[in-house]
Amino acid sequence: MSAGLVAVLFVAVALVAVGAFIAVWKRDLTAGLAGLPLMFGGAGVAFAGASRFAAPGGPPAFGQGVAALLAVAALALVALGVGIAGRGTSR
Amino acid sequence: MDSLHAIGFYVSAAISVGGGLAVAFLPGRGSRGAALAVAGVGVAGIYLSLYAGFTGLVALVCYAGCALLLASPQYRVMEMVVGGAYRQAGAVAAGGLFVVLAYAAWRGNFAHPTLFYLGAVNSASVGRLLFAHDALATEAVGVLILVALVGAAAAWRVRERGR
Repeated sequence: MSAGLVAVLFVAVALVAVGAFIAVWKRDLTAGLAGLPLMFGGAGVAFAGASRFAAPGGPPAFGQGVAALLAVAALALVALGVGIAGRGTSR
Repeated sequence: MDSLHAIGFYVSAAISVGGGLAVAFLPGRGSRGAALAVAGVGVAGIYLSLYAGFTGLVALVCYAGCALLLASPQYRVMEMVVGGAYRQAGAVAAGGLFVVLAYAAWRGNFAHPTLFYLGAVNSASVGRLLFAHDALATEAVGVLILVALVGAAAAWRVRERGR
């Protein structure tokens, strides 16, 4: 059993699609924020997979660094969204 | 990738996608937060199977933070104003997005680094692309994002003051 770049990209695409589905399907906008980490995670998996498989001679840390940055950005966006939602409905 | 890492990759992929689907369909903020944490464990496992252990650790911490935020008592409900037909159209569009991206991943030939005209895909070549060859386009995108964020923040502040 093995896994290549196409398998990694398929999983990344599935994560992005599930995240987009959550964002548009949830009636509650705050619950729809849960789709953001999945979409960003899908992009990060694609970056990490591309740096792992498509650049055997280059430094793989670039894709890993972008993936870590995307994870932190997703956390920041969710915190911002939950904060705005709490501020907007508390008055 | 050896068999052990491949098995870990596929198991982690199933956990992450299953956790994401559970986030979509489970009721209640607590269960959704737990499902998002499970999805985070799956994503971290994917990174680990791709020999990106530190990134997996960062992702695990960030997903745990997202899960805590979405399950916390500070959670407030904001009802969407669009109707159900638009939500269904959006769900169909998400399915279409999956089909298009999966087809691109299957048929794409971007896995050959020699096709990248600046050489191998690494930080130096991407940096040259963004900050030398396409510097004006990069700055234009940055300015566009900055203007959009400032406009959104200003509109939100004006709306808050109007209440």
